[in-house]
Amino acid sequence: MTDGASLALEARGIVKRFGSVCAVDGVDLDLVRGEIHALCGENGAGKSTLARIVAGTLAPTSGSVLRTGAVGLVHQHFELVDRLRVWENVVLGREPRRGLRLDETAARERVRMLAASYALDVDPDAIVENLPVGIAQRVEILRELSREPTALVLDEPTAVLAPGEIDALFATLRELAARGAAILVITHKLAEVIAHADRVTVMRAGRVVMRSATAATSLEAIARAMVGGEVPGLAPRSGVAPRPAFAARALSAGGGAHALRSATFEVRGGEIVGIAGVEGNGQSALTDAIAGMLPYEGEMSLGEQPLRGDPAARIAAGVRIIPQDRQREGLVLGWSIVDNVALGDQTRPPLARGWTIDRNAAAALATQIVERFDVRTPSIRTSVASLSGGNQQKVVVGRALAHAPRFVVAYQPTRGIDVGAAALVQSRLIEARNAGTAVLLVSFELDEVLALSDRVLVLYRGAIAGAFERAAFDRARIGALMAGAA
Amino acid sequence: MNARSATIFAVALLVIAAAAMALAGANPLAGFAALLRGALGGEHQLSETLVQTTALLFPALAVAFAFRAGLFNIGAEGQLIVGGLCAGLIGAALAAPGWIAIPAILCAGTAGGAFWGFIAGALRARFGGNEVIATLMLNIVAALLANYLVSGPLHAPAATGAETAVLPAGSWLPVLLPGTRLTIALLLALALAVFLRYLFARTVFGYGLRAAGDAPAAAARAGIDLRRTALVAMTLSGAIAGLGGATLVAGVLHRFNVALSPGYGFIAIAVALVGALDPLRIVAAAFAFGILQSGSLTMQVLAHVPKDVVSFVEGLAIIGLSAQRLTGTRDA
Repeated sequence: MTDGASLALEARGIVKRFGSVCAVDGVDLDLVRGEIHALCGENGAGKSTLARIVAGTLAPTSGSVLRTGAVGLVHQHFELVDRLRVWENVVLGREPRRGLRLDETAARERVRMLAASYALDVDPDAIVENLPVGIAQRVEILRELSREPTALVLDEPTAVLAPGEIDALFATLRELAARGAAILVITHKLAEVIAHADRVTVMRAGRVVMRSATAATSLEAIARAMVGGEVPGLAPRSGVAPRPAFAARALSAGGGAHALRSATFEVRGGEIVGIAGVEGNGQSALTDAIAGMLPYEGEMSLGEQPLRGDPAARIAAGVRIIPQDRQREGLVLGWSIVDNVALGDQTRPPLARGWTIDRNAAAALATQIVERFDVRTPSIRTSVASLSGGNQQKVVVGRALAHAPRFVVAYQPTRGIDVGAAALVQSRLIEARNAGTAVLLVSFELDEVLALSDRVLVLYRGAIAGAFERAAFDRARIGALMAGAA
Repeated sequence: MNARSATIFAVALLVIAAAAMALAGANPLAGFAALLRGALGGEHQLSETLVQTTALLFPALAVAFAFRAGLFNIGAEGQLIVGGLCAGLIGAALAAPGWIAIPAILCAGTAGGAFWGFIAGALRARFGGNEVIATLMLNIVAALLANYLVSGPLHAPAATGAETAVLPAGSWLPVLLPGTRLTIALLLALALAVFLRYLFARTVFGYGLRAAGDAPAAAARAGIDLRRTALVAMTLSGAIAGLGGATLVAGVLHRFNVALSPGYGFIAIAVALVGALDPLRIVAAAFAFGILQSGSLTMQVLAHVPKDVVSFVEGLAIIGLSAQRLTGTRDA
């Protein structure tokens, strides 16, 4: 495909399994010095897994990676020490020393030279937590560049950036490529790929489905390859209860740009209603209002009963929320799985017996969740802090679905977890729906919404901008409404 | 704090204590020996150590109770004083058989401490006020209020110091060992420790308390009312400290005196943290600090080490442990 002499990295037959799920399924990838290479795919296509294997931070199940030099990895969520200065972050782990002491002058000078040589405008003495994300990302890039890599991998580098910052980033990447580095950018923003990349590789379900020079393809062709044409199948509803399980009337909550504005909708038992929308269009206000965490105007009901009161009252009524931030809002990280599965149900049987916690019931529930959700853990007594993100999420979802809830709100239920865990979480949500639970799926991933939902509501600037039955899903129309089309 | 850093910390404190003794012109080994002899060298010494252990145990359990709910109650001293004040006022005024008077005195102390804790809890629950500041300031208010009341309006006519009248002998706590000051307060404190361990580990209430302390955002979503928890935790924390103050009044001094506590409520912070907030380990920690308290005078007399060395080391322990707690190191 390319001249072997200019290859910076050569990956052959990469396979990565997580349990029974194959995240990366036999992928070859060449990175060429001087090129910006885009790796595209839907969430869960295996891009990030492949990137970590290529960068050497994750071992493949099989396959080989041949590197001609160091490979730098710029993470989506920066791995910087917020309280430290820029230069301290850049030299961290490889500090120049004078005797036993850190040679501060040399370190600062090294960082200043490095930044100047790549025209990366960063104040070496700034504290990282005071920097805007675009600049913090430059610090992360600088840190990787200080290791003089022959290849640089960036995982979703533009997800957090403003448009101006995105242009600056690609200008930097172009400069790095011009100096002989190979650049791999993971993204699902196709306009960026067309505008900036030399070469594109598209993954779907762990396999490469398209390789092309960017000049020889089009945005539409890449998009088709990513989605694979059809919306993934969902078994037809097993019989939707005629009455709504949950109904919201003229629901308004929150303030400012992210407020929810007079939303009226219902979710029937045995159906999944998906909320499609770009992040920040009222999704958090909606879930928090349903949870009883946020004051609101309007009415909510569950079955025939009005739904009111504090979070405890709503949980007691049969509402379960799978929160967006599992580590902060869903779990007590220092606690064991056993202690965590009682959270939210600590006041009711079977987990409460009189005024004590029934520890046998909690252990039984933990065992049941670990088995049913395939939670990878040495023991139910293990602290959830030591579990992977996917396994933590399985605990959160397992707990939410454990007591035959009437209404479940799943807010970004597969955010940031590996494909195996994501697939399992999704299939358990579908099972809950098949068992008659009303499910509201709030996700920023349109593909997830389309794959799982019986009906889709589009949320734009806090208001419901459109509603679609599954038979009438129109991806282009939904996408346009999400972007604010009338 | 993990075992390794705890060991390093303890060794460092011992070395600093030895250095301080040397600086004071004494032989550190003789100093330690005198300290231990003074604390454990006989029935009398041991009973005094247990008196000090008891005095520390109540406020240490109070501090731990608030900590478990995620609240830093550095006001156990003030709550103890207000509890003692209430106990002293009721006790001095009440002429009733012991089986009525003693429970009444202990209840009065508990209620007084609870009220003092409630103020800080209410400020936190209602206005989001920082409980560290509130409890710290309430310590000063408590000390000045007690001083004013027993020097002025409630001063016992016959008393020379700033104190209430002596309680009727029938209202004194029963002594465990004849001829010593060791009373049933020790048993009460031990029973409280066992009960609190059960409360934290087994009950729905303790579960909610720990959840609110360890992960407030998750606890709120699980239906645990954080404001109510803060209010209840501070009130009960104050109640425990106040009960401790009442046992000092009814068991040790037999009156309320402004010098009731030589800083038990502050040393208690170190005791609670050394005991890793676990009630049973706090019992052991209180005994260790009790040795320091009761042995220090002997040390001064026999080894010519100023007993302020003990206060100095205790102060270092409080600062070190509190700082570690506040900065939220990973193993805290």
